[in-house]
This record gives sequence, structure tokens and C-alpha cells, in this order.
Amino acid sequence: MSGAGKRQRLTLRIAAIPMGLLALSCLYPIFFAVNNALKTRHDYMLDRFGLAMQPTLDNFVQAWTRAHLDEYFLNSVIATLGAVILLMVVSSMAGFALASLRFPYRRFLFAVILSSLMIPVQVVLVPFMRTMLALNLVNTHIGLILSYTAFFLPFSVYMMTAFYSGLPRELIEAARIDGASLLQVWWHVMLPLGTPALVTLAILNTLSCWNDILISLLVMQKHRTLMVGISALKGQYSDQIPLFTAGIVIAAAPIVVLYILFQRRIVSGIAVGAVKG
Amino acid sequence: MARVELKQVSKSFGSTDVIRDVSLSIEEGEFAVFVGPSGCGKSTLLRMIAGLEETSGGEIFIGGDDVTDAEPADRGVAMVFQSYALYPHMTVADNMSFGLRMAHRPKEEIASKVGRAAKILQLEEYLQRKPAQLSGGQRQRVAIGRAIVRDPKVFLFDEPLSNLDAELRVQMRVELAKLHRVLGNTMIYVTHDQTEALTMADRIVVLRSGRIEQIGTPQDLYQDPDNAFVAGFIGSPRMNFLTAIVQAGGRLAFGGQEMDSPAQTPLEPGRKLQLGLRPEHLDQDKGVDLEAKVEFVEAMGSTAYVHATLATGETIIAERRSSQPRTGDKIILHFAPASARLFGEDGQRIR
Repeated sequence: MSGAGKRQRLTLRIAAIPMGLLALSCLYPIFFAVNNALKTRHDYMLDRFGLAMQPTLDNFVQAWTRAHLDEYFLNSVIATLGAVILLMVVSSMAGFALASLRFPYRRFLFAVILSSLMIPVQVVLVPFMRTMLALNLVNTHIGLILSYTAFFLPFSVYMMTAFYSGLPRELIEAARIDGASLLQVWWHVMLPLGTPALVTLAILNTLSCWNDILISLLVMQKHRTLMVGISALKGQYSDQIPLFTAGIVIAAAPIVVLYILFQRRIVSGIAVGAVKG
Repeated sequence: MARVELKQVSKSFGSTDVIRDVSLSIEEGEFAVFVGPSGCGKSTLLRMIAGLEETSGGEIFIGGDDVTDAEPADRGVAMVFQSYALYPHMTVADNMSFGLRMAHRPKEEIASKVGRAAKILQLEEYLQRKPAQLSGGQRQRVAIGRAIVRDPKVFLFDEPLSNLDAELRVQMRVELAKLHRVLGNTMIYVTHDQTEALTMADRIVVLRSGRIEQIGTPQDLYQDPDNAFVAGFIGSPRMNFLTAIVQAGGRLAFGGQEMDSPAQTPLEPGRKLQLGLRPEHLDQDKGVDLEAKVEFVEAMGSTAYVHATLATGETIIAERRSSQPRTGDKIILHFAPASARLFGEDGQRIR
């Protein structure tokens, strides 16, 4: 008994070594960025890998003001928030319809939505761009919000449909007998009951929208989002690594905070998408 | 309160006919029970009255109004589901008042109606709880409360007691019957449990394969079934059916015995029939006797059900109240000829 326990503990310890290395490889870049963001340009030249001896917040101030990260940050917040709210409303309604209502070509429609999950963004870039130009949506926040919504909607609809399919039909029927219209059923019953799935979706979609470069690079050519702005910093300030890393820290901070707050939800959300349906 | 009338109602899912040509009227204030084996269409019929299933053919009237194509909410019905279907994110009070809130009724009216229903159902102390914090029986009462609050013309119950344990089921059965007496509304109740049907119904509608087999009071169905299906479905344990051959002179040969036909209809010799004998009628002191060998005894305390084989090899179940035989014993079962029911090979009753 104790022999087996010991052997098991040994196996666990050996397994911990690659895990530790993996964690280190994830954490080190963050440490590198934060550490160097706190150095002056001069300090960085002298010692790239050493700890910041005289930490300064100057780089953050510089990045925020001189490199226009304040404007980019706002653009990202508007686009992400707008897209996430729109995604939640639309996917919850679509999920309700696809899971609970009976209408012609319902299965076909669901199959089409599912199949669009399999088409990568890059493949549809040309028609996408032409459409955006034709609709005068380039360089507008609305344009970016709609683009994000369009590209991330299939997964969201799929997940909400899978979630709502698990709810008993009688709930909707009871509400119908109670005199609720379809919209009222959605608002009073489906939306509150969908909260667990919607929270997960909100987090996953926030990650996707906030971290996106490709779509926003195309749609927001004049007003950059934060991620595009950070990529541009690399070219503009290639000799100012501390300023650049400060930008990276500013861009990553909201997502890291979100991740720490909702770690469990993110993991379970990925599982919902994987197992159900 | 309202009369419910179905005129040649039918329903098909694709090419499958679930309800075929059902005509039926349920009187004002009546407690009607739809009963039948699973898949007989009883729930579908109820859902059609509720408006949850579209009607493929025929007409449905509630209180004289044609509601065949009306929305569920416009029919004046309230329904209690087997799964209760309580809104899990709402409190008991919110669950019960949902329908009134949807109808934009004034706050005072909602409060007084919810209060009255809570009082009738003894739910007053649970009004602020969520369904998850209630027991099965309490949830059931909330679901009934939600129906009462709407003041419907007709109550619809879809197997409301199936999810409760045996003891609670008996208790709720009594409470529902009391409720019907207090409220006086028309009630339609669906169950597969013939005990529930017999104990609660003013009238029972027996369904099979989407057709009505018989409509009648519990006594009618028990005493005077129209066919072998109803005779077998109503009563527990179910009626024994023995093959009987008509002899010359109209006598019947069955189970190694002979007797005069209990039916008035003249029977031609050689015809094969089914003789129905209820287990509880096989415990007489005299009458026709049937010799049987005991295979198995189900002791129920005050009574016992004896499973036995006859001379013809047919099995028979008989109730024994006084003496309880043992496996392997030879016993004589007595029954009064008048208690036997006769059915043709097609299952139709021969009177």
C-alpha cells in the first residue's frame, strides 16, 4: 500500500518537471515584459535580463500618451464591448429558435451555421472586404462590431443551441400557456436560464475580440485598435524596447485580469463546446 | 367553468396518425380522466386541447367558442405538467404570478390571487423560495397554484403525480379531488395509472392507438366494459381471459369446466370466445368451480393474489382473502356466473 503510494508520488513529481517548464515558458515572457517596461531605455541597454533596479512608470505614461495607446485602448473597448453584447443577444435568440421552435428548414439552417465554423477568416477576406466597402462600414466602430459579431457568431449560436436543447420544452410551453409571447418567453425565461452559457460565451468572445489583429487591421484602417497599435509600435519604436513592452503590458492586462477572475468558467466553457451538441 | 367539446378531432405527425377521429364532450365542472397505455395519444389529445399541438382535423370548442386555431393563452386553459415546468430562476410567488404579470394585471389583484392560491395549497411560507429549495410535493403544489391563479375555464393535468413517491401520490390524489370540489372548474386529467383514474374521475375516457375505446363512469367501465381492452385495462390485477368454446345448447366450455352463457345473445356452437373473470370475483364460497394448481402466491397482508394454472394449461390470477394456499396446492376457485364477462375473438363484448 505504502509502496504503491510512494511510486505514485514519484510519478507525479517526474510529471511535474515538464509541467513546470511549460508554466515557466508561459510566465517568463510576461515577467520579461513587465520587468523591462519598468526600466529606462538606458538601463535596458546596459542589462537586458537583469531586474529593474530603479523602476519607473515613465514608459507606461509615454506609451499611453505619445504612442496614442489611450485612443487605441478606447477603440478596443468599444469594439469588444459592442460585439460581445451583440453576440450574446443574437446567439441567445438564435439558440432559442434553433433549439426550441419548430420551423421549416430548421436543421438545414443549423447545418449551414455549423459549416461556417469550418471556414477560416482568411478564406473570405476578399468578399468580406468588398462588402464592408460597399456598405461604407470601413473605419467605423459599427463596422468592426458587426464584423466581430459575424465571425464569432457561428460558435456562439452553436453553443447556445446546444445549451438550450438541454432545457425541458415544458418550460416554454408553460410560459406560452401563461400568455407570454415568443419574445417574452425569450426575455423572461430563456435569457435568465441561459446565464451560465452566456457568461462563458461573453468571456470567450471578449478574448477573441480583444486579441484580434487581422479583422481590425482591415476594418479600422484609420483608427487602430489596441492590438494593431501594439503591432505598429514594434516598427515605429524598434529601438525603444521598454516603451514597447509597456504597451504590451497595457494591452494584455485586461485579458490577464479577466482570465484570473473567470478561470473556471473559461475551462468549463471550452468543455461545454466540446462535449454537448 | 366551461364545457369542452371535441368534434372528429385528428392529429398526425407526418404519416403517423396519433389521434383518429375523436369526438367527445366534457361537461361543465366535470372531472374527466384520459387513461390508456403509453403511446395511446392521451397526452397528445390533452396538448391539442391546450393548444400546444396543432389540430390536423376536426374542431375543438371550449365554453362554446371554437378554439381550434387559437393560441394557448387565449383558450382559458391552465396546465400542470408532469415535470411541473416551474421557472427555476423565479421564486414561488413569481412563478405563480407569471401569467398575471404577462397579462399586465394590477399589482393588488396579482397579490390577492397569489395569496388566495397559496392559502388553498398551504404554500404561504414558501412564497419567497426558489423551486430548487422545495420538495417534490411542494413543487407540484406550486405548479397547481400557478394554474389556479389564472382562474382558467378548464384545468389540464398531464400525469401530474407520476414523479411523486407512492405515499405522496395517494395524498395528492385526495387533495386534487378536494380541490376540484372547492373550485368546481372543469378538469381534464391524463394518467396511465388506472387507480388514479378510478378514484378521481367523474368520467373516464379510455384511449388506445388514438381512438376512444369507451367513455363512462368508473363504475360503468369496471362493471360493464365495452370490450376486452377496457376490461383488461381497468381493474388491478387485470381481468383473466380464458378461451371458451360454445357447445351445443349454448353452453360454454372453458378451463376444464362448463357453464351456461352469461350473455343474452344467442351463440352458435363451435364459436371461440374469451371469458373474462376478475381476480376479486374468484373468491366466492359457491358458484361455478374451477380446479387449479397454485404456482405462486403474492401475499399482500390482508389479501393474497394466487397465480395458478387450470386443467387447460391457462394461467389465472385469483384473489384470496380468507385462506392463503401454498405453492403446489390444488384449489377450487368459485365464481358467480353473473360476474363473468364474455368477449368475441375481436375483443368486442357480447352482452
